[in-house]
Amino acid sequence: MTLPPATLRDPSVHRAPSHAWRLVVSLAIGGYLAAVVMPPLAGPPPASELAGAMMQPLRPLVGLLHLGHGYRFFAPNPGPGHSIRWTLVRADGVTLTGSIPDAVTDRPRLLYHRRFMVSEKIATLVPPPDAPADVRDAAKRDWGPLVRGVATNVLRTHGDGRLSLELVEHSLPAPDEVLAGAVEPDVVTPLGVYERRREVGR
Amino acid sequence: MIPGMDDGQTGRAERGWCGEWIAAWDRFFFTPADPLPLALIRICTGLLLAWSSAVWLLDIDAFFGVEGWLAPHEVWRMNDQPWQWSLYFAAWSPTAMRVVAGVTLVAAILLTVGLATPLAAVTAAVGFISAANRAPLNVFGFDDTLGLLLLPLVIGPSGARLSIDGLLAAGLPGARVEGAPSVRANVALRLIQLHLCVVYFFSGCGKLLGASWWDGTALWGAVANGQYRTLDLTGLARHPLLTNALTLGTLFWEVAYPAIVWPRLTRRVALGMAVAVHLGIGVAMGMMEFGLAMITANLAFLSAPVIAASLAVVTGGRLESSSSGTSFRSSARTSPGMPPRQGTQAHP
Repeated sequence: MTLPPATLRDPSVHRAPSHAWRLVVSLAIGGYLAAVVMPPLAGPPPASELAGAMMQPLRPLVGLLHLGHGYRFFAPNPGPGHSIRWTLVRADGVTLTGSIPDAVTDRPRLLYHRRFMVSEKIATLVPPPDAPADVRDAAKRDWGPLVRGVATNVLRTHGDGRLSLELVEHSLPAPDEVLAGAVEPDVVTPLGVYERRREVGR
Repeated sequence: MIPGMDDGQTGRAERGWCGEWIAAWDRFFFTPADPLPLALIRICTGLLLAWSSAVWLLDIDAFFGVEGWLAPHEVWRMNDQPWQWSLYFAAWSPTAMRVVAGVTLVAAILLTVGLATPLAAVTAAVGFISAANRAPLNVFGFDDTLGLLLLPLVIGPSGARLSIDGLLAAGLPGARVEGAPSVRANVALRLIQLHLCVVYFFSGCGKLLGASWWDGTALWGAVANGQYRTLDLTGLARHPLLTNALTLGTLFWEVAYPAIVWPRLTRRVALGMAVAVHLGIGVAMGMMEFGLAMITANLAFLSAPVIAASLAVVTGGRLESSSSGTSFRSSARTSPGMPPRQGTQAHP
């Protein structure tokens, strides 16, 4: 893509940028590159205190340009998939069930992935059901508001009623399990029972 | 030699080590480049953003509404507020949400065809960032990559080639040389290239923390995940060594990408692997948009002559890439006896 020197000598092609222009642009490029490099260096964990400190002055620029990404695709290990199973008993007595995401109804595939991210991101905050009670209580302060949003959206879409939510961690079978046809059962964690805008039970 | 430009040899001795660094930076960023690769990236990015915008619109009340997946006052839990702005924080009514999303969709279409390109690029970027910042529960790597592509498209002259803007400009009296090499084009392409290297570097380094990437089973973890699967590859259970090879090949390619993509000798390996890996993810794991976005970003490493030759094959026209930039001539657009359009002649 870089042009041969002959082109650079052709005055009709371009004018050489001035030193001042190049200095200003170089500073802008440096700032941009810093905003690109620092977010993945500063997080997700493990990350150094130094990277965190260097990230602080860049936060406005990173936020402004939407550059705050970790880029840890399938890292450190590809893990199990998650979905949120819901059961809604409506005021009219009708019971509805569903899953977030739903590979059958969530079409096109990009819509499926956008909904899949809801359960995947919430799953990162929810400890397993056999975790100590204090750990589960502390974690709920983080995932509780997000799950309330999920409940609100389901109730808005399907009508008012009593909504039960469960996080399902789908078993990630080992190769020998697949060959033997014996796959571990999914792990189910209750996320609570909700009515419009509030949680009414665990 | 153009005043202020460095030819890489003159005065090397008297510049010293720091001077050489400055000269190298100068050459790297401020050498004019053909805008053709940027134009192709613009078209691909525009199409992907248009598709993404259409999908946001399919369930817009859930994504951006007050009673959606994430209420506006809860966004801070996932974002770095107040810096992660969004027009949707102000446009919270059903009508306003649809207007913002609709304008973004129109801007993406204009970006694709290259009409009012600078305005379309800015509008598309604003609309994209607004959506991503308002719906942090719903974004993933595809959105990260769209952002990587859109910001350089705002900076560079992405509408200079393969665009309606280019056609219109060529018809104007005294029009500038169409698709002339430009420092802005070079800066934009360099930013995409460097950002892509950062993405692969950190993605590869993140994998180095995982035991499954070392023991060669990580690829199995990806194909056995039923929530991602669109192509059943669980037959790999019978071929552990193949799984090992694919896993380690992916790991080494990703970690090495920032080094092997620059030398001409290894660039084809880096880009060929990128196409294979990302198409594989797209087909087997149903993330075709993510795969295509990453392949689009990799286009920044293709030279203008290679792109010109490829497009010429596809379109049946003649696409020239030379020191002047690239000019597209198809038989349908050239009338016998007419003088060549201004700006389409090759420069020496």
